[in-house]
Amino acid sequence: MNALVHAPGFGLALTLAAYLGAGELHRRLGRPALLAPVLVTMVVVAVVLEVLRIPYAEYLASVSVLTLLLGPATVALALPLLRSGRALLADRLAVLLTLVVTGAVSVTVTVGALVALGAPDDLVLTTLPRSVTTPVALTVGETIGANTTLAVVLTLVSGVLGATAGPWLLDRVRVRDPRARGFAIGVAAHGIGTSRALAKSDVAGGWSSAAMVLNALAMTVALPVVARAFS
Amino acid sequence: MGLTPPAPAGPARSARGWPAHVPAVLAALALLLGLQLLGTVLVDLTHLPVPGAVVGLVVLLGVGARFPGFARRAEPAGEPLLKHLQLLFVPPGVGALTQLSTLVQQAAPLALAVVGSFAAGLVVAGLLLQRLLRRGPGA
Repeated sequence: MNALVHAPGFGLALTLAAYLGAGELHRRLGRPALLAPVLVTMVVVAVVLEVLRIPYAEYLASVSVLTLLLGPATVALALPLLRSGRALLADRLAVLLTLVVTGAVSVTVTVGALVALGAPDDLVLTTLPRSVTTPVALTVGETIGANTTLAVVLTLVSGVLGATAGPWLLDRVRVRDPRARGFAIGVAAHGIGTSRALAKSDVAGGWSSAAMVLNALAMTVALPVVARAFS
Repeated sequence: MGLTPPAPAGPARSARGWPAHVPAVLAALALLLGLQLLGTVLVDLTHLPVPGAVVGLVVLLGVGARFPGFARRAEPAGEPLLKHLQLLFVPPGVGALTQLSTLVQQAAPLALAVVGSFAAGLVVAGLLLQRLLRRGPGA
């Protein structure tokens, strides 16, 4: 039993099995946003590691191939952007202005709320990468000295919020244009929100993917500058 | 008709850009990794404060806009990676669950910062872009 649990492939097999199971569960229950497969998988894996007393470092070594794939996955984010390239170029000024204003508002609210409530500087640093999609948040987080694991959870929380409350909130403020709805979800809710937008319509999904990537590019440049004030 | 075995599907070059005998997924993965490493080298040379993978993204964007066939060659690995991007977040997420105490201690400011910036960003982006697009040529 010990040989099985501590075999080099155990953590990876556990993660893949939990992910496939969580995906199947999600599909059968009608895709509730709160049971996003990634969240269920994380909880299942964490519980199993705890029960079997497997140290996190050992688990991390077992799943290093997943960590390694984050790089090529980030490069691949260019693909959805290329697909919606023509529509974006036609409205490039509107897109750029929205991107800059939204980024400024989002960072100001994040930093403002934390500073107003007296949070320590390292917590501000950790919360900053939340504004970008996770693969980029991980690398940017490392660059600016954030606690990357916590940053990932905050990004995931935003994603789940986007998938659940996002469409509702956009209805309340009467944003009906599918392009604007998709873009807003992509900027605010990243991958999880985008996957929901893609399921709804191609237009919203395309604009959502594009917004996610453009936002990531803009934040990659902007966040290290903002972070300098807190480190 | 009927008795002849089915001809090998399609031309020697598949729709994904790679010759039929090349394992397209592996070749596409190698291409994406190569772009990431190229980005890393460029970052090292220029001392840009960005991750190498993001520079790789920009290179793929630039070359792919000019040569669509180049971007298509990255798709056999790129599409499944993007579709299951969330699987790649599980390891750091599990690590974060082990740090729940920090999260709970700072729950109030974190909740305000995350929910506040999420809602503000969403509403501002949606309203602003809708207004701008209506005036633009696309509407």
